[in-house]
Amino acid sequence: MTRRAIECDVCIVGSGITAAMVADRLSRTTSAKIVVVEAGDETVPHAQRAAMREQFLRYGQNPWGRDHIDGYEIDGPLQSRSMQVGGLAMHWGGVTPRFSPEDFKQHSLFGVGSDWPISYDDLQPFYQEAEELMGVAGEQGPPDLDPRSKPFPMPALPLTYNLELLKKWAAAAGIATWSQPSAKNSVAYRGRAQCCRNDTCTPVCPIGAKYSPDFTWDALRRANKISLVTRTLVRRLVLDASGKRISHAVAVDRDHPNDPIELHAKVFVVAAGYTWSSHLLLLSAQTRAPNGVANASGLVGKYLAGHRNVQGYVDLPLRLYPGINEQHSLVTKQFMRPKEGSTYIRHDLRIWESSVGKTPRLTDDSGAVMLGDAVLDDWRGRTRTGTARVRSYYDVIPDRASELTLDATRKNEWGDPLPKLEFRDAPESIALRAETETSIKTVFGSMAKAGRGNLLRTSVDNFQDHPSGGCRMGNDAASSVVDSWGRAHDHENMFVVGAPTCVSGSCANATLTFCALSLRAAHEMERGLPRRGS
Amino acid sequence: MATLSRRTFLASLASAVPLALFVRRAHAAAVIHLQSNPATLDALAECVLPSSLGKTGASNDAAAFREWGSGYHEGAELNHGYGTSRLRVTGPTPVTRWTAQLDELDAAARTKHQRAFRELSIADRQTIVRSALAGQRLDRLPAVADAKHVAVAVLAHFYDSSAAADLCYESKIGKATCRPLSASARKPLPMLKVSER
Repeated sequence: MTRRAIECDVCIVGSGITAAMVADRLSRTTSAKIVVVEAGDETVPHAQRAAMREQFLRYGQNPWGRDHIDGYEIDGPLQSRSMQVGGLAMHWGGVTPRFSPEDFKQHSLFGVGSDWPISYDDLQPFYQEAEELMGVAGEQGPPDLDPRSKPFPMPALPLTYNLELLKKWAAAAGIATWSQPSAKNSVAYRGRAQCCRNDTCTPVCPIGAKYSPDFTWDALRRANKISLVTRTLVRRLVLDASGKRISHAVAVDRDHPNDPIELHAKVFVVAAGYTWSSHLLLLSAQTRAPNGVANASGLVGKYLAGHRNVQGYVDLPLRLYPGINEQHSLVTKQFMRPKEGSTYIRHDLRIWESSVGKTPRLTDDSGAVMLGDAVLDDWRGRTRTGTARVRSYYDVIPDRASELTLDATRKNEWGDPLPKLEFRDAPESIALRAETETSIKTVFGSMAKAGRGNLLRTSVDNFQDHPSGGCRMGNDAASSVVDSWGRAHDHENMFVVGAPTCVSGSCANATLTFCALSLRAAHEMERGLPRRGS
Repeated sequence: MATLSRRTFLASLASAVPLALFVRRAHAAAVIHLQSNPATLDALAECVLPSSLGKTGASNDAAAFREWGSGYHEGAELNHGYGTSRLRVTGPTPVTRWTAQLDELDAAARTKHQRAFRELSIADRQTIVRSALAGQRLDRLPAVADAKHVAVAVLAHFYDSSAAADLCYESKIGKATCRPLSASARKPLPMLKVSER
């Protein structure tokens, strides 16, 4: 057995989108030696993505090769099995709304959940920075609902012919909508191509018009600003004698599992998402931290957050043409600010073109098999009207027992227990759930009526999307894991960044917020690192 | 030492060769069969797809279907689902089943009409296809690989295409193809009718 040591100033655990944000900022502002450690493999090179997309379109195949580690079947709703350079954001949808100011003051404003230790204004410059790094195309919504201090770095993706019709429909129902901000190039941006509507943003953009973290990693590696070590799983963070600092990380090289690696750094950044960040901290239990690193509060793995959605399909007397750009949508924040004194019901609303109910079929209404021209004629007959997909994410207040724990019954091949995930609503959310879902369905119904259409069906997705939490931030070390910058209350040289630090999940896609939080954490890390040029 | 009979020897040899190898060989043989005997598949495509494609268009789509079959890989990892750690892979090759069904269509034609399937009128071919589909649960078109019958697979393959959507809407939508972003704001241009080409 040979023990290998890697020395650096900053050790970043994980190479997903939040890790990329931290590395990008620190490499611009400091001369720190940065090492990024990724458990998974390199991702599929950009040049191969068009071919991989074809395999996805033809056969439904995963376009990302071997982007997982065997044996990681876990108990609970894991967001995605992906583990590779770039993380889940290699196949994200690129949808990038900001949270709203009231998200950060839920308790003060509405008497539910918890306030964050930061405000929207604290995060605003970092939202802007994240939008500029990724390249976000967007349109300013109503300033009181969608405040911004600077314009988006790119003009909005144009509304399609379909979305223009649906925007008028929504307006007739009293709902003002606008183009959903997206990390997709409405114009060529920083060496990446303009979007050409391949319409497979999830799971793969074949031309790089959608931002993914590999672009950041490729640029940083070309410039020799970081080292990225792949196929290396960090298994433990080890404390120094004082227990106040992380001394080193212990990792396993998946190709040489008998030769452990020690990573020594001034600053450790845990950027492994909502599951693997808490998992690593809990796995790191040791004499000076018997419940896990950064876990004096007992809250590591607790308060997992997210949001559920209610979805519906509305048949409208509009001639729509599904396929113009199905992954782009309209959005409104009109329902994100409950009126004073009213029930706390809070949700976004998005509208897409859809082909639901308008796809070809094999049997007619009588059940007789159709062949030849009959299939096409039947399909044409049913496409004289159009379908809109409507969906609302709604706020779910996380319970303390919404948690990640170590699963004693399942271990990975190195003998470490796998995580177990269980999401739970706080009592106030349980009490509000039925009324919230009914209220959203009522909105959908009113929209259908305003457009002289029919609400075809609705469904509720029980899965909490854009999961976060597990290392929530706060000013009080007894009720949070990290401070407002992401620094562990218990260990001065350790930061947790992105999704795990969220106090709540809002009711909008959360990746941009994860990125902004990470950039803000990096801003704090700079204070202890050599400034570039100094 | 006892000697092995030829039958015992072959049986023991077969048991020593992994099942996956047999499956791969069966798939390869079925793909070759499809490619070397295109007439029945072409005739099937012509009778189940829209007549506006014409004989040539149907034959082109049958060729694309054959290519789909030859590119199929059993056990390939499918796109990850969200909310689960379960991995899924593509199932057993459907091509062996489909080639057998093409042979059955031809056999049915010879039994009923004393002629090959490809030599029948479109109406007669459709009647044979309907008989073959009798008793199957049909409504929405399945994913191509999930089609229980080759006729359904040919339909599913065609109707999943960008060309089929354009034909339905009689407009150049170009679903899932690379198209100028700026053109997305306008109504898709109409397709030229045959007489206008």
